[in-house]
Amino acid sequence: MIEKLKHLLAHVLINLVRAGWGGLASIASIAVSFVIIGIFLLLIQHFNALVAEWKEQFQVSVFLDDRITPLQLEMLRRRIENEAAVKAFTLTTKEEALANFRRELKGQESLLEGLGDNPLPASFQLKIRGGYQSPEALKGLSAFLSRLEGVEDIQYGKEWVERISQAARLIRLLGVIIGSVLTLGSAMIVSNIIRLAVYARAQEIEIMRLVGATKAYIRAPFLVEGMLQGSLGAGLALGILFAAYRFVAPTFNLASPLFPTTAGQGFLESSMMVGLVGGGAVIGALGSSIAVSRFLKM
Amino acid sequence: MIQMFHVYKTFGKDLEALVDVDFHIHKGEMVFLAGPNGAGKSTLLRLIFCDELPTSGQILVNGRNIVRMKPRAIPYLRRTLGIVFQDFKLLRDRTIEENLALVASVAGMTTIQAQRKIAQLLKLVGLSHKAQMVPYKLSSGEQQRVTMARALMNDPLILLADEPTGNLDAELAADVIRLLFEINSQGTTVLVATHNLKLAEEAGCRTVFLKQGRIVEEWQRVNRPTGPAQQKRV
Repeated sequence: MIEKLKHLLAHVLINLVRAGWGGLASIASIAVSFVIIGIFLLLIQHFNALVAEWKEQFQVSVFLDDRITPLQLEMLRRRIENEAAVKAFTLTTKEEALANFRRELKGQESLLEGLGDNPLPASFQLKIRGGYQSPEALKGLSAFLSRLEGVEDIQYGKEWVERISQAARLIRLLGVIIGSVLTLGSAMIVSNIIRLAVYARAQEIEIMRLVGATKAYIRAPFLVEGMLQGSLGAGLALGILFAAYRFVAPTFNLASPLFPTTAGQGFLESSMMVGLVGGGAVIGALGSSIAVSRFLKM
Repeated sequence: MIQMFHVYKTFGKDLEALVDVDFHIHKGEMVFLAGPNGAGKSTLLRLIFCDELPTSGQILVNGRNIVRMKPRAIPYLRRTLGIVFQDFKLLRDRTIEENLALVASVAGMTTIQAQRKIAQLLKLVGLSHKAQMVPYKLSSGEQQRVTMARALMNDPLILLADEPTGNLDAELAADVIRLLFEINSQGTTVLVATHNLKLAEEAGCRTVFLKQGRIVEEWQRVNRPTGPAQQKRV
């Protein structure tokens, strides 16, 4: 068995060397297809990271009744602490709220003169755990909290949350559709490139068939070659993408609230890279197998 | 060795390539299959090495009914046959030695076995000194001899030659026929398809004539020709 495997690998390597520039051209063509898929995956990954970071910034503000008693405040604090959707929370007292507001009005503090009593309420600022950041979950949380004693009002930027969620859903759907079309298209291109390489060796297949080679014997080296070409092409695509990404990424490193600097700063995740190379191997093997089968009529 | 019983082969709806062919070759015989182009000679050979299946009829090769043979058994049958083609079918990007080694590899020979066999066969066909050359650097006659060497790699019981002299001049054709005789003298059954009636006549072997898919005539060999061919019409 080991001997047969060694023989097969030797056969495959010899064939790859024999393919010469033609083989390299095939791998390069495959790489182009995978670069397109890789760009798409990068965009999706970055968008998902951006959405996740925006969602991280979702806050639910629980505004407190001015007449809340310390006991009620403590009860409320415990209820909030025990709530599964709440990752962390802070309490802002009336005085702190006023001080914050005064800081925001820097240079225009005179607007606060004549205000009289502090009209700003105390509030809890809640950071929401992942998985509870959907509009429905936030609505449910808000409804629950609003029924608690001492709570005056709940605000969580409802419209903003709904818009982001809708956009995320739409992008995900588009991502699936476009991703499927791209993957299918790339698979067909890669498959055809591999098939052309097999067709170029039609005579070799015919001779092997006529001298008594079994189908498995004929198919095996082509299968392995297809896998190698597919995975090498995908690997080359990753290399090209990585180099381009390192060059281009700093240009888009904008420090703005809209584009958090930490969102998707890295290259593709390992699982995506493995998936891409694995996908290349599978498509290469399939393309080879289908092409060789055409010649193995008997 | 080869037995055909009421074999018909039709391509498509109405293209009759072989019609009611009854044909027997005994072990160790050398037989010529003669006829004009389109007579069905190549089709008959292709039935023997299972490149096609008959539309009806039975074919036995070395006692095995190939019509009832499972597809996975066909490669093993082909290893008992040697096939020589008019267009040589040599791999242009491989040396002569590598072309022969391909058969050894398929048959599962070890490297040493393969090297010995290749050396032996190249000596037989007189091309030992050209083992490292690629086919397109050889003459047509030399390429055909390489093809015959390749056909002998598995020590076949039967050698099938489809127009082996088709691309050769008279002198080279005679060389090829002499080589076939030599192979036959070592016990291999040989079946040669040719449209060259003169060649078949001069060879003096049993000759079966095909015309429009039917066997129309047969010449039995009277004795081994040493001079002009002597054949008895059947």
